[in-house]
Amino acid sequence: MSVPVVAAEGVSKWYGQVIGLNDITVDVQPGVTGLLGPNGAGKSTFLKLITGQLKPSQGTVRVLGEPIWGNPALYHRLGFCPDQDSFYERMTGQQWVTALVRLNGLSETDAVEAARRALDTVGLLDAADKKIGAYSKGMRQRVKLAQAVVHDPDVLVLDEPLAGMDPIARRKVIRLIKGWGREGKSVLVSSHILHEIESMTSTILLINNGRILAEGNIHQIRDLIDEHPHTVRIQADDPRRLAHAFIEHDGVRSLTFEKGAVVVETGKPDAFYGRLTQIAASGELGEVHEVSSPDDNLQAVFEYLVK
Amino acid sequence: MSTPTSSSVPAATSEPVVAPAFLSSAWRIYDLSLGQMLWSRRTVFMVLVVGGPVVVALILRLLVTMDLVSGRGMVDDRPIIVDGPIIFGLMIWGFYLRLSVPLLGVFYGTALMADEVEDKTITYLFTRPVSRGAVLFGKYLAYLASTGLVVLPSVMLVFFLVVPLLGGDIGSNFPSLVTDLALLAVGLAVYGALFALIGAWFKRPLLIGLVFIFGWEPIMVVVPGYMKRVTVSYYLQGLVPHATPQEGLVSTILSILQANEVLPSAAVSVIGLGFILVIGLGLATWLVERREYVLEQ
Amino acid sequence: MTPIHDQSYRRYAGVRQEPGAAWLVIAATGIRTVLTKKFFWLVLLAAWGQFFVRAVMFYLSANFSNLDLLAPSVETFRQFFEIQEIFVLFVTVYVGSGLIANDRRSNALQIYLSKPLTRAEYVAGKLGTLLFFLLLVTLAPALMLLFLEMMFSASLAFVGANLFLLPAITLYALVEVLLSGFTMLALSSLSTSARYTAMLYAGVVLFTAAVFGIVNGITNSSSLAWLSFRANLDQIGDVIFRLQPRFESPWLLSVVVVALLIGLSVFVLERRVRGVEVVT
Repeated sequence: MSVPVVAAEGVSKWYGQVIGLNDITVDVQPGVTGLLGPNGAGKSTFLKLITGQLKPSQGTVRVLGEPIWGNPALYHRLGFCPDQDSFYERMTGQQWVTALVRLNGLSETDAVEAARRALDTVGLLDAADKKIGAYSKGMRQRVKLAQAVVHDPDVLVLDEPLAGMDPIARRKVIRLIKGWGREGKSVLVSSHILHEIESMTSTILLINNGRILAEGNIHQIRDLIDEHPHTVRIQADDPRRLAHAFIEHDGVRSLTFEKGAVVVETGKPDAFYGRLTQIAASGELGEVHEVSSPDDNLQAVFEYLVK
Repeated sequence: MSTPTSSSVPAATSEPVVAPAFLSSAWRIYDLSLGQMLWSRRTVFMVLVVGGPVVVALILRLLVTMDLVSGRGMVDDRPIIVDGPIIFGLMIWGFYLRLSVPLLGVFYGTALMADEVEDKTITYLFTRPVSRGAVLFGKYLAYLASTGLVVLPSVMLVFFLVVPLLGGDIGSNFPSLVTDLALLAVGLAVYGALFALIGAWFKRPLLIGLVFIFGWEPIMVVVPGYMKRVTVSYYLQGLVPHATPQEGLVSTILSILQANEVLPSAAVSVIGLGFILVIGLGLATWLVERREYVLEQ
Repeated sequence: MTPIHDQSYRRYAGVRQEPGAAWLVIAATGIRTVLTKKFFWLVLLAAWGQFFVRAVMFYLSANFSNLDLLAPSVETFRQFFEIQEIFVLFVTVYVGSGLIANDRRSNALQIYLSKPLTRAEYVAGKLGTLLFFLLLVTLAPALMLLFLEMMFSASLAFVGANLFLLPAITLYALVEVLLSGFTMLALSSLSTSARYTAMLYAGVVLFTAAVFGIVNGITNSSSLAWLSFRANLDQIGDVIFRLQPRFESPWLLSVVVVALLIGLSVFVLERRVRGVEVVT
């Protein structure tokens, strides 16, 4: 296994009497990872710990193998897009991103050039010379992204990067994030909007009440949630005959009928799919038009684990 | 926006992962912060604080022109002959050293980090490869530059308006202007450092700063013994060439108690002020490096 | 009666207060909020320090005939208020600077004014919060001292000889807190930063005092005392306590200046406390 990008070992964080994070041990691997959880779950606390803004009350946090707290050199390789909507409003987008990347040690000329490229990447080149105070919500989000990527970091931590964006901008930013992942950057994206995360990655970190509930591939996690049977919807010529065949299967827990389809709940999805494939291939029970799994998705994983 | 095929991030200069140089980082923070400090609504406050003496100087010129100022005044119940240089000295002490400089020190010094925390922009500075101490020091330098840029011209204006009054001579008094300008710069630096420490340490630095300037200092300066050495104005007094009036009922009462008021020598003053500046800034830097800043949600 | 109870939203069916009482809610909430801050208790304790010192002095003068010089007089109460001025400044800054500024900063002003309360009630509520604490460090300890004087001396002689003292204490305290309260609220409504408001207020108070001090020293005349925020209150205080006014400036002029300042503050509040920005 590759060296984890972020390694949290026994990390707890409390604010007075309130526990923000409770004994978290997790490794974030390279690639795009979605950090998912309801409001108040501890996502922001976790992100602040791994970006060195907070120090763990207990445990250690390492980024790229080094402790992050009090280690400003590491920020050459780390880019952070926070969720708060705060800027130096009087500056233009160009000035702001330039000023921030200058803190990475770039000369004035290099900084201006890097800022322009970053703004172009996020589609703000036309508005680069407008004051940030005049930007729309979506533009403000994008200029935040620009400052996070301007210095070409190896690790990107994005806290709710799509908040306030229109659907078109949202799609473009999702494509950007996936592109950065393909280029070899490690991206940790936090959100509470499930379909956004699903469209970016299938690797998630699920957090609730300050604890990690699950980590890894969505489908693998789903498979492991035994107490919730898998739901499979089969659209076929003769759903009733199919149901008759399935009812003998010992993993099937329930059957319901919809117009032109049968919905099966099974506790043994692998075996069930094998049987279904045989039936569909033989054609003996009529044609099978469509097979879908309404709950083999993040929504289901989220609901089953969080509730 | 770039298409997915050209979604690559800009090929910025690849930086070696080394600890950032303190002074160079501080200088970049200074560069970023100077504009923010000068072109913000707080500048209105600065202008009011240092513009007031200029307005008073203009009024005084008018009063002298109308023969309403006799040239005889009272300082600390002592009659004095008042001429332009004396008036200037009173204004340096009364407006600048006792009011403008400490107020600016409190306002900006306590807010070096607090402003960024309140505006929630501190995240951007703390997630860059600059040490937190360098952020504080850079902002301190920006504070010095922006207050100096506003205070010192105000002093010069007042000098040229007031010193020629009632027979005063600009030429012979010019060296004292230079001394006063240096003194005010030192006052801004020392108060700024002290309040930077208070700002880094306490949750209510503004009130503590006001208590220090308008409660602690006026009382301790007149209390006999060593307590006066725990103030900034004691050491500044040692460098002030002008009359130093005391104000208020409390100081009048306490002045009965004092035996012989001995001002420190210039050397002691410089050492004392230097000590306060270095310790203030050093401790503030140390605290900022270790403190967590939790932003309001 | 149905066995399954309705879990949906139900309208409030209880008693509603008459319109015009909302300011009490705002004031009570503000007071409770400030009282939860431990640091403020320290400020309050310091503000009552003078009360404790003077109470001891009254006790000693009442019980030890050779300590007559500690006996209270009208000047004692006048000086009490003079020394409390610094605490009035601290409390005004601490409690008052964020009263409206914080609401403007968090856009809470629009939420307040979308409720069934008038702007006047909103301002009254905020003023109520500030006045409560200002009176707590002025009127309350002064009245307590008067009461203690009676109790320690076991006599109404002093109060009887100075019947005007009770109304004088009340009137002066009200003038002082109303001027401080309105001015601070007006400044708070001009900004979204409590810190900036605090500095503006401190600057106004201290700067005008410095202007007067300088001009007084230079011209050897206190006829311009009306320039100073504090000197106006001092002048009015001397008159209320039937003492010789300390400055040459006419005391009526000080009254006019104080009234104008309060009037200007009310004007500013009327313009600034709105649910929406008015663009002309």
